[in-house]
Amino acid sequence: MQATGPEEDELFAALARSGARVLLIGRQAMIVLGVPVMTSDYDLWVHIDDIDRLNAAVDPIGLVPNRTSAEARQRGRYVLENDLHVDVMVARAATTKDTDEKVGFDDVWARRQSLSYAPGVDVAVPTLDDLIRTKRWALRQKDISDIQLLEALRRTRTEGQ
Amino acid sequence: MKTARVSKEAEAAWLEPLPPVEFERRLALALAELDGEELENLSSLIGWFQRRYPTPKERLAYARRRYEGWVRAADYAARIK
Repeated sequence: MQATGPEEDELFAALARSGARVLLIGRQAMIVLGVPVMTSDYDLWVHIDDIDRLNAAVDPIGLVPNRTSAEARQRGRYVLENDLHVDVMVARAATTKDTDEKVGFDDVWARRQSLSYAPGVDVAVPTLDDLIRTKRWALRQKDISDIQLLEALRRTRTEGQ
Repeated sequence: MKTARVSKEAEAAWLEPLPPVEFERRLALALAELDGEELENLSSLIGWFQRRYPTPKERLAYARRRYEGWVRAADYAARIK
C-alpha cells in the first residue's frame, strides 16, 4: 500500500532510530537516488541478527510482522504491515540468477550510502552498483527496465563529473 | 489506500521471472539503447527530477503523488469501460 506523507515520515524515523542494520532497496531506493519511477512498495533488507530490533522500532507505528523472527530467518523474508506493506528480506546473502554472483548483506552494508531524509533521520541505501546487483535477483522484465534506468543514472553522474 | 489494477497479462509480462539467457538478451538490448538517443532522454528525465526534487523526502513525495494519480486514473478508466 502507498504511504501518506506522515506515514512515510514515521517509517523512516523508526528505521533510523531502530539501531538495526537495515537498507532501503527496490524502487524506493531508486527514487531516493534520483530516478523517477512509480511504486507503492517498500522493500527493506535487514541484517539477520537485527530483525527483533527492527520490529521493536516499528511496533509503535503499528507495523506488525507477519512471521516470528525465527520463521523470518528460516524463510529469508517477511512482511511488516498495517496500512503499509513493507517487504523485508532477511538473507545473509543472495545470488544473482544470471551471473551467479553472491551479494552479501555485510558487504553491501559496509558500502552503503546514508542520505538525509529529514533532520536527524538518515536512510541507508546500497551503492548504485549494489542496487543494480539486487536487480539481478529475480530476472523480471521490470528489473531490466530498472537496470537500464540505474545505468543511465550512472552515466549521467559520470558525464557530470 | 488503493493500489492500481493492471491486467493479469501485463502484470505477468512485467513480473514473471525470465529464463537467465532471455533476461541477459533483453538486458543487453536495453543497455545498448543507452549508446544512442535513449541515454539523452533518460539523462534529461533524471536531471529534471533531481533538480526539481533535490532531497530524498521530496523525491519520495513526488513519486507518491504520481502513484496516487495513476491509481485514480486507472479506477476511472475501469469505471467507464
